[in-house]
Amino acid sequence: MRNASETLELERALTGARWLTAARVIALLALAAVLVVFPQTTKVGYLLSTGVVILNYAVTATGWNFMGGFTGYISLGHAAYFGLGAYGTGILVVKAGVSPFLALALAALIVAVIAVPIGIAALRVRGASFVIVTIAFVLILLLMFQSMGSITGGSGGLSLPRPFPDLIRTDHHRTFYYIYLGLLAVMLLAWWAIDRSRFGMGLKAVREDEDKARSLGVPTTGAKLVAFILSAFFTGLGGGLYALWFGDLDPVFQFSIMMGAYMVLMSLLGGVRSLFGPLLGALVVGIAIEFFKAQYGDTQFHLVATGLLLAVVVLFMPEGVIPAVKGLFARFGPQASSIREISAADLAAERDAEEASKP
Amino acid sequence: MASEQPTSPAPEPGSGTTRATGAANLLELNGIEAGYGRAALVLRGLTVKVPPRTIVCLVGPNGAGKSTVLRVASGMLTPRAGQVLVDGVDVTRQGPQERLASGLAHVLQGHSVFPEMTVEENIRLGAYSVKDRALIAERTAFVKDLFPVVGERWSSLAGLLSGGQQKQVEFARSLMVDPKVVLLDEPSMGLDPKTTAAVFEQIVTMRDAGTAVLLVEQNARRALETADIGCVLDLGRLHITGPAADLLADPELSALYLGGRPHERT
Repeated sequence: MRNASETLELERALTGARWLTAARVIALLALAAVLVVFPQTTKVGYLLSTGVVILNYAVTATGWNFMGGFTGYISLGHAAYFGLGAYGTGILVVKAGVSPFLALALAALIVAVIAVPIGIAALRVRGASFVIVTIAFVLILLLMFQSMGSITGGSGGLSLPRPFPDLIRTDHHRTFYYIYLGLLAVMLLAWWAIDRSRFGMGLKAVREDEDKARSLGVPTTGAKLVAFILSAFFTGLGGGLYALWFGDLDPVFQFSIMMGAYMVLMSLLGGVRSLFGPLLGALVVGIAIEFFKAQYGDTQFHLVATGLLLAVVVLFMPEGVIPAVKGLFARFGPQASSIREISAADLAAERDAEEASKP
Repeated sequence: MASEQPTSPAPEPGSGTTRATGAANLLELNGIEAGYGRAALVLRGLTVKVPPRTIVCLVGPNGAGKSTVLRVASGMLTPRAGQVLVDGVDVTRQGPQERLASGLAHVLQGHSVFPEMTVEENIRLGAYSVKDRALIAERTAFVKDLFPVVGERWSSLAGLLSGGQQKQVEFARSLMVDPKVVLLDEPSMGLDPKTTAAVFEQIVTMRDAGTAVLLVEQNARRALETADIGCVLDLGRLHITGPAADLLADPELSALYLGGRPHERT
C-alpha cells in the first residue's frame, strides 16, 4: 500500500540517515585526532598527567559499561575490580618480581577469575539489591587490603618501581597516555563487536525485560555472568595500568565508593547505550573535575561545582549527552511529517471508496 | 471464514511446510489439572487437541482458565496432573526454553516487543536459540514476506510502531524458530476494531503458512469466525468442542458464551 508520498518520505529519511552518518564519522575522526595529537602539543607535566587521569576515567567508565550499558545492572562497586587489578599488579611486581606488563596481564586474569563467584552471587538479585551487593564487596576489600599489611602494605600503601626507569617524567606520562589510549581503543572495539553480536542482543534484551528475554530462549544468567566478567577484566586492566603509571597504591583511594560512582556518572552522562558515551562522559566530567580542582585548590568546592554540572546534565539531557546531541541533529535534519500510519486524507479516500462500493 | 475442517483431520501426505512427524495432533493437553499455589484448581481434567494447520480457539467466561491453558502449554506453569504432548513427544516436565526448542512459541498478552530495540533486533531475538545462520536468513526472509511491515520498519525502534504493527512484529518473532504450534494470548487486546480485523487476518496467514495456532481471545465471536475449531471452557473443563462454525451457529452457546445476538457482527 505504499503510495508516492510515502516513498518520497522514505527517500528523505534515507538521505537524512546518510547525512547523520557522515556527521558522526567526522565527529569521531576529530575526536580521535585530538586524543592522538594532544600529548604532542605540550611539554607541561601537569597537563600530560591530567590527560592520563582522564583516559583512566574513560577506560574505567567504558569497562563499567560492558555490564551497566548492555544489561542495565548498575554496579556502584566497580572500584573493587580496579583496586584488585592495581594491587594484583603491584603485589606481583613488588613481592614476586614479575615483569611489569606480564604482571598487569596476570592481575587482570586473576580479577576475571575472582569475578566468577562474585558475579554468580551478585547476579542472583536485581535492582537495588544488586547495587548494595556491589557496594558491600568494595567495602569488604577495603578492610581486607588495609589489614593485610604484610602483603598489601596496609594503610601505608604500596610503592611500585617505574616500568620505564630511563624515561623522564613527561615522557613517562606521554608513554602511558598512549598505552591507555591503545587499551581504550581495544575496549571500544570489543564493545562495538558485542553490540552487533547475537550475544549483545541477548544482553540488551536482558536490559529491556529479563523475563521476556528468557521466554525467548536467551540464557540470561550465563549471558549476564559473561558480561560481568568481561567488565571486571577490563576494569582490572585499567587498575593495573594505573598502578604501573602512578606507582603508589593506597586502599582508601583504590577501593573507594567515589571512584565506582564516577564510573556510573560518566557513563550515564555520556549515554550508556552508546559506544562512545562513557568516553564522552569521562572527557566532560574528568576535565571538569580536574579544572575545578585546579581552580579551587584544597577546598571541597570542586565537588560542589562538579555536582552542579551533573545536575544541569541530568535536568536537560536525562538520556545522556550523545542521545541529546543526536536529537538536536535530528531536529535540524529532514523530518517525517507524521508518525501515523495513515493520514486523514487516506482515511477519507478509504471511506469514499467504501461508500461508492455500497449498492 | 471458518473452513470445513473436521475436528481431528489426519495430516495430509506432503502437506506443505508442516513438519508433523505423523502424530495426529501437533499439541495435545491430556487431562490437565492445574492451579496456582494452594488455591483451588483452575483446570480440572481439561483435554485440548491442536491438529496441524488448524486454528483452535479457546473461549469461555472470565475465570474459565483460558490463559492458564496457555501457561501450562508453554511450560510456565507445571500441571499437577495430565500430560502435554508436542507432536507426540511428552514435554510435561520441560521448562519454557526446552519447549521453545520442541516447537512451541508463546506470544504473550499485551505488548511484548522490546520497545527500545529495533524491529531487526526483536526479530533476531526470536531466533536466539537458532545457531544456523542460513536458517536464520531463510526464516527472516520468510517472516518479512509474511508480514511486510517488518521489512518496512526494519531499523525503527519497535516501541515507535503502532499497536497493530507491534503485534505483527511479535507474530513474526514467534515464527523465527519455525514453531509447530504458536500460542496466542489475547492478540486483539488494546487494539481498535480495524486493527483487530487485520490481526485476525494475520493469524489465518500464519496458519496458511503451515503453523498450528492455539488462540485465547476475549473477543469470542470474532475469534470463532477466524478459527477452525472452537473449544468452550467452563469452570476448568471442556464444555463443548467442535467446528467453530457450528459453535457460532448454536443459539444456546451464543446466548451463554458469546454475548447473545447470534449472526450479528460485533
